[in-house]
Amino acid sequence: MSATKRRNENPNQPRVKRNTRAGQSESLIDLVKLHRRIASGSASRLLQTPASSLVTLFVVAVALLLPALLFGLSSNLASLLAGFQDSAQVTLYLQDSVSEADGQKVSDDLLTRRDIESGYYVSPSQALDEFSASSGLEDLLIEMTANPLPGAIVLTPWDVSPAAVDELARELQELPQVDVVQVDSLWLQRLAAISNLVSAIGSVLAVIVILGLFFVVGNTIKLAIESRKAEILVIKLVGGSDMYAARPFLYTGLLYGLGGGILATLLQIIVLATFNSNLEVLTQLYESDFQLRGFGLMSSLLIIVAGAAIGWMAALMASLRHIRAINP
Amino acid sequence: MIKFDNVSKRYADGQEALSDISFEVSRGEFAFITGHSGAGKSTLLKLILAMETPSSGQLIANGVNLNRVSATQIARHRRQIGTVFQDHQLLHDRSVYDNVALPLEICGYPPSDAARRVRAALDKVGLLKKEKSFPEALSGGEQQRVGIARAVVNRPSIILADEPTGNLDPGLSAEVMKVFQQFQSVGVCLLVASHDAALIERFNCRTIVLEGGKLLADQKPRPLA
Repeated sequence: MSATKRRNENPNQPRVKRNTRAGQSESLIDLVKLHRRIASGSASRLLQTPASSLVTLFVVAVALLLPALLFGLSSNLASLLAGFQDSAQVTLYLQDSVSEADGQKVSDDLLTRRDIESGYYVSPSQALDEFSASSGLEDLLIEMTANPLPGAIVLTPWDVSPAAVDELARELQELPQVDVVQVDSLWLQRLAAISNLVSAIGSVLAVIVILGLFFVVGNTIKLAIESRKAEILVIKLVGGSDMYAARPFLYTGLLYGLGGGILATLLQIIVLATFNSNLEVLTQLYESDFQLRGFGLMSSLLIIVAGAAIGWMAALMASLRHIRAINP
Repeated sequence: MIKFDNVSKRYADGQEALSDISFEVSRGEFAFITGHSGAGKSTLLKLILAMETPSSGQLIANGVNLNRVSATQIARHRRQIGTVFQDHQLLHDRSVYDNVALPLEICGYPPSDAARRVRAALDKVGLLKKEKSFPEALSGGEQQRVGIARAVVNRPSIILADEPTGNLDPGLSAEVMKVFQQFQSVGVCLLVASHDAALIERFNCRTIVLEGGKLLADQKPRPLA
């Protein structure tokens, strides 16, 4: 017991302040070391109860995955639409009374218009040939005495925005030779509306999921605090603030969010692979090479960062509330 | 340093643990608080540690008015006080070293600085060789001494001790009291609750006697012959 007397003659000497630059960087390293120790302590506690930790991790991952998939679906639809929009077509079906020569003339006149990029005339006989070739009803058509199909002009407008196409269609309807105007872009508009709806559902779901995650992570943290009540009590007795006592739990929340985010990006790869193998059959039928795209690096990082931030904040709210309630 | 001014403490069940207590302990003073169990010794220490608030009267410790304190103030106040608890209050999943280092970690001491202080404190209580052990592997007396090392490691301005020698043999009790006296000599204010009459007799210090929550006597140390 005498060994310390030499070193420690005045046990109440004031603490040496470190103001030098070296001292500051040293204390920063110390701080990093301290936090690394707290974080690894929290991680090893999670590993002590692997089953329940894994369940929580999966809940967080699935919760993050659902809105992320919807946003992904919506962005895939948007890119699909962008590819189709260039091919918006307006088809004019001509009156039966219009002869082939007149039809060709109307078509040539229309092509001089500034708002039309290209177009071609389909005579009734050409239409019949195409129809019989593609429908396989040649035998039936041979029986017919007259050609039931009208002549048509297929136009591609310069401006493919829905409003401009509608305006063009209304003008062309006024032409005396024209019977019916059909705009091919209507289904595109519907698809665009569906895509917007999917995105809106994704937003609402994201809000619900964030609230749900706060509850799930908060409840997990609450149970962890309950099981370490004695320890928190001791920390408070020797002067630890609520924030000090909360630190390990903040790391627990952060780890749940981070792990859940990483798991969610891994799960989406599996989900998309499953979708794509089914989609391949469909796209082959449509002679398209369309494929669902994954989240990409930035979106994946966003999910992971968002998960970590939600986990940390949920832990902060839960731990401060429950630690405040523990009093010696 | 510590000033009780007509302090009473009534618990929610109506039991009056302390009634109308007034005394003052100044810097560098060493006082025993004695009395039978249930006399109010523990309640008195709990009031100073802000674990309880006075029902009436005024209590000031270390310049802090303990009648009205926020959670942040309580934490800061407790960092200035080293407390030896009767039931030790050690963390069982941390080593002896980490238990003693806890107050320093809370105050944000650099680890190298903390290591020096922790070893010095463990040396004072004769447990330097046990720093890697866990509290459960220690005897009651050893656990008590870990608690004492933790109480003094932060060089507090007030040391409170609730039966600090309860589990110690007379030799170790004397050693512990000597450690306390070292702190007294550098201006620390010490309050030791004890019912060990022999110990109180041997260490000729101011003695505050409680009985049934009332201050029965406040004996000054006998003049040295």
